[in-house]
Amino acid sequence: MTSPAKRLNTRRPFHVTPQGLKRIILGEIGAAGTLQHFAAHHETAPKPLRLTQAPTNHILVIAHTDRGGFDAQAQQAIAAAALLARADAAVAVLVLGSLTDDLTTLGADSIFVAPDCESGLFNPDLELAIATDIIGKLNPLHILLPDNAIGDGDLGRRLAARLGADAAAHVVELKADALATHWQGGATLARRTLPRILLLDPETTDTALAFRGVGETLDYAAAETPASAYAHLGTPAIDTAKLALEEADFIVSAGNGVTDVPTLQAVADAFGAAVGASRVAVDDGKFARDKQIGATGKTVTANVYLAIGISGAVQHLQGIRACRHVIAINTDASAPIAKRADLTIVDDAQQIMEQLLHATRGRNFTAADQEA
Amino acid sequence: MLDQPRLRIAVLAALGRNPVSGAARPNPDDLLALDIALQLSSDVTLLHVGTDTETALGDYFAYGAINLLVVPAGPDIAAQLAERLSGYDLILTGTRSEGGQGSGMVPYLVAEQRGLPIVAQALDLSIANGHVEITQSLPKGQRRHVRVSLPAVVAIHPKAPAKPRYAFARRAHGRLLQVPSSGAAPATVSAWRTEPAIKRPVKFKAAETKSGHARMLSAVATDAKGGAVISSGTPAEKAQAILFYLREHKLIDW
Repeated sequence: MTSPAKRLNTRRPFHVTPQGLKRIILGEIGAAGTLQHFAAHHETAPKPLRLTQAPTNHILVIAHTDRGGFDAQAQQAIAAAALLARADAAVAVLVLGSLTDDLTTLGADSIFVAPDCESGLFNPDLELAIATDIIGKLNPLHILLPDNAIGDGDLGRRLAARLGADAAAHVVELKADALATHWQGGATLARRTLPRILLLDPETTDTALAFRGVGETLDYAAAETPASAYAHLGTPAIDTAKLALEEADFIVSAGNGVTDVPTLQAVADAFGAAVGASRVAVDDGKFARDKQIGATGKTVTANVYLAIGISGAVQHLQGIRACRHVIAINTDASAPIAKRADLTIVDDAQQIMEQLLHATRGRNFTAADQEA
Repeated sequence: MLDQPRLRIAVLAALGRNPVSGAARPNPDDLLALDIALQLSSDVTLLHVGTDTETALGDYFAYGAINLLVVPAGPDIAAQLAERLSGYDLILTGTRSEGGQGSGMVPYLVAEQRGLPIVAQALDLSIANGHVEITQSLPKGQRRHVRVSLPAVVAIHPKAPAKPRYAFARRAHGRLLQVPSSGAAPATVSAWRTEPAIKRPVKFKAAETKSGHARMLSAVATDAKGGAVISSGTPAEKAQAILFYLREHKLIDW
């Protein structure tokens, strides 16, 4: 007596695909229907919209951009606003500076862009005028800003003082109805209900959301430029090569694939970049230990990370987690760094470095170069 | 000091808290402000909200303060300070208090109530022609020069290159002035509830609505996206591709 149901060995062989674990079912090679279903399950289907009705109130996020994009802390502030917002609340974002990033994945519903307020400039009166103007129009329940040193923490405190609003700064923990900050230099944790203005420390929020925002860019009449008590006298150029690696904005980093250190140094000089190295290159004695980037070395937050001849061990990738643009030059296209990098060049490091030097020769030229 | 003999400077000083022993001590940021003030002028007054029985206040004298004005605590610290701050050309503070809430709000509230400009993150300041020129510290090693007219409020960055020096002999020579209490008691009802900071803060996350199967898959899947890969072409073209990427994202401006 046998059952009509087909018997399957639950421990039958499998292999891991990008779609997950795939069991091999003998005799089902032609019948791909089930597999397609399996794959369709994981394709990035557009996430549902969070806001499905006309909003009756707002949560406002104000943050500066850098070269058209938000840093991780500002992104977390937008995601936090989207998580805090109830079904009838829209997430409005006031972008100070230009914007090229897509904010729908962070849950932003309406976006106001004030391109005249780049983060390098110091114009608190104009920023305060724009912010109070938008706050007056939207009357948001909460106003969220990242508590950083590029101007948002400053603007948030100015707003709190100007509006006379309740505020909480250096928020380290956020819930739907409460927050926590550290007092007494970190010895005490203080909790309270959500005030009107929240200044968020880094790493308060997970930016992975189950929904998306509408992401509509709205026009608004820019506020009149007020007479300012502040005069911006400029930002002096700094020598990036002399900065500590943690502070550098552009890093040229060398791994095992680099044999010619002077050429690497020249490439770094051409870009005004700091020099870093992977553990192997440091162990070989090509670089000092303080140049090592990775788990046992330094954790860097550069905007651009040019990885030359680095395969990308887990420990190294951990050190460059916060880097925004990673460009890799490697002979092996399947190296782990290629999965992390935004652009991977598959070629010999030495040749590419020489070509880069050649292509950048017109820059920073001296009189001697001109004669040659 | 000589060309600005009449510059009157007020330094707002709180009491800090030794991170190891918990004992009261001068706030490190405010000490930097005091040191910078002493370099700029000889007429420096320290303002503190609290009581004159706090022994750690004497350490401010040891660090060079001569006049210390103690304002009794009331419901609104910023308003009480602002009330006492008329007639000063420059008001210096630290960035964050170490002993209290450490929100960094007080300089902004004082500036707003007195209608003065405020510049924070100051590393270095110089006075010229009724203006103060400030070098601000920005992330990634950047500096910014800013000028405001006096009077102004300036919050000193914790990394300001000042070196306050302790001299025990000066401790006995300071002048401590207690402002009589106005009678208003500090607010007893607070929105805050405090507890010892033992637990690590929890991240704010979206509620998990996915099925177990979907969660398993998202745990297995690598979130590495993998960008463009260029494997064909001459090295010169590949170098150009790098430069094109940098230009496209406004990472280089040439």
